[in-house]
Amino acid sequence: MAGSSGRRSPRVVLAVGVVLGLLYPIPLQWSGYTYFQTVGFLVLINAMLGVGWNVIGGWAGQFDFAPQVFFAIGAYTAAILFVHLGWSPWLGMLAGVLAAIGICALVTYPLTRLRGHYFAISTVAIWMIAQPIGATWEFINGSRGLFIPMQTGQGVLGSIASLQFVGRTKALGYYYVAFGLLALTLWLVHLVERGRLGFYFRAIRDDQEGAEGIGIPSRLYKVIARSITAAVFGAGGVLYGFWALAVFPEQVLDLNWSTLPIMATVVGGIGRLWGPVLGAFILIPISQIMSTTLGTGPLAGRGIDLIVYGIIIVLIAALRPTGILSLPWSRWARGLVRRRASARLVGRG
Amino acid sequence: MATLLEVRSVTKRFGGLVANKEVSLAISAGEIVGLIGPNGAGKTTLFNCVTGYTHADAGRIVFAGADITRARPERVSGLGIARTWQLVRTFGRMTVLENVVCGALKRHARVGEARARALRLLEFTGLASREDVVAANLTLADKKRLEIARALATEPRLLLLDEAMSGLTPAETAAAVELVRRIHGELGLALCVVEHVMEVVMPLSQRVVVLDDGEKIAEGPPAEVVRNDAVIKAYLGEHYRGRR
Repeated sequence: MAGSSGRRSPRVVLAVGVVLGLLYPIPLQWSGYTYFQTVGFLVLINAMLGVGWNVIGGWAGQFDFAPQVFFAIGAYTAAILFVHLGWSPWLGMLAGVLAAIGICALVTYPLTRLRGHYFAISTVAIWMIAQPIGATWEFINGSRGLFIPMQTGQGVLGSIASLQFVGRTKALGYYYVAFGLLALTLWLVHLVERGRLGFYFRAIRDDQEGAEGIGIPSRLYKVIARSITAAVFGAGGVLYGFWALAVFPEQVLDLNWSTLPIMATVVGGIGRLWGPVLGAFILIPISQIMSTTLGTGPLAGRGIDLIVYGIIIVLIAALRPTGILSLPWSRWARGLVRRRASARLVGRG
Repeated sequence: MATLLEVRSVTKRFGGLVANKEVSLAISAGEIVGLIGPNGAGKTTLFNCVTGYTHADAGRIVFAGADITRARPERVSGLGIARTWQLVRTFGRMTVLENVVCGALKRHARVGEARARALRLLEFTGLASREDVVAANLTLADKKRLEIARALATEPRLLLLDEAMSGLTPAETAAAVELVRRIHGELGLALCVVEHVMEVVMPLSQRVVVLDDGEKIAEGPPAEVVRNDAVIKAYLGEHYRGRR
């Protein structure tokens, strides 16, 4: 009984989560206070990026500190195709994902000669190279950035097709698109985790020589793992670009596009499918609440919100380094069920 | 019997140190060869040359007709050589079953098939009851056993065991010897066994190769090798002389 409820409870939690996630923006839409829809959008996009980062960082065990490079590649690819050639953003997203995968594979293969800290440092170096390219390359307008012309007066279907939501439905529309992309990412990464790739990635993480000894070409599989991460970041970049209606190098290459997803993954549970989702759900609202409460009023402008935010992250990391999902949730849930059941018996007696 | 592995005068240097000096060695299908010698004799270096973790500076290594002198480890594995390590290299954060599934995925791309194959190998190696244990939590004896199960999952024709029994209690050693005999007898694999415990390697091996200071100093049936003066001097010690 306890065992079956333990196995059933994750599905119940998932179903409740999906329903709550789908309903969440609706009362906000009525009240007209769409700021919290935007917070929801940021939670979802960072959760999606975290789920993608988990593939290289969590399963393959390679610390990639610069996935925002692929976020930028996705954003720029779709924006250029839209501005110059009038491509649909969805086709642009496909192209952005493919560009991110292609460039990632080319750049990462030589880097996989390096291991551990050296690999991590080399990913940061790639980001440092990407910054001046983004700021000076005339084809993508350098530091002036690319503006995405706003398309107004479309119906619901037209807005979805052009990935442009304006006015009162802007936050609502992007929230649901991010929700859909997160669901798609979770499903695909789940398939990766369960399949041969997931086994090979974890084998390389745990012992690279041991993995090679049973026939796993470690460099190839590291490239595959990082390319999957790059694909997710590429898609995320496209979504962000159309949400912001502009692609600026300093914005899409911002360090936050790697630190927030990585922190969400570590806080929630690295190497666990739902870890980044839980982590983003905790971290992003805290950061928003901090900046709207501590960031305003008499203490404004002193960065108190960032300090408190940092302390909260350090506390979580110090108290539970393997992430919040690694706590014995199923045992607690079983204990709760048992306690309720015995309380009922006592009540009857 | 057909020659499976042929090592032809392999030399391997690390800077000024000559780890292997023109070592030649042949292993036939279905044979158990013991590889012995003092610490630093070049046994593990020879294993690393054969399995592609390092490459010989001179000489050739041929396995089942294929030149593997400069092959990468994953290609050597694909051709049918599997190995274990002196210091175990199990996948610590994965379960026992998952470790073996990783090995089986090379020949069975679908996880379901690889799992079925892995479960049979856990039965064979006596690890079935440990299936869900995380590998890092196993005893040393079980970690070594798991490494063997994972190596067998790649369906090799030759298995190289690098001190599979070092650090084990006498009872664990006896169980490990039994497992090696069954791998040879029931699965028909050729084995090359590096071992320091003479009581283990001598009765197990059909042929013994002795390395000292990077060079092969003797080769032959165990009974002959233990009477060889050079071997007694370099490795076994004078006390070994009248024991057999």
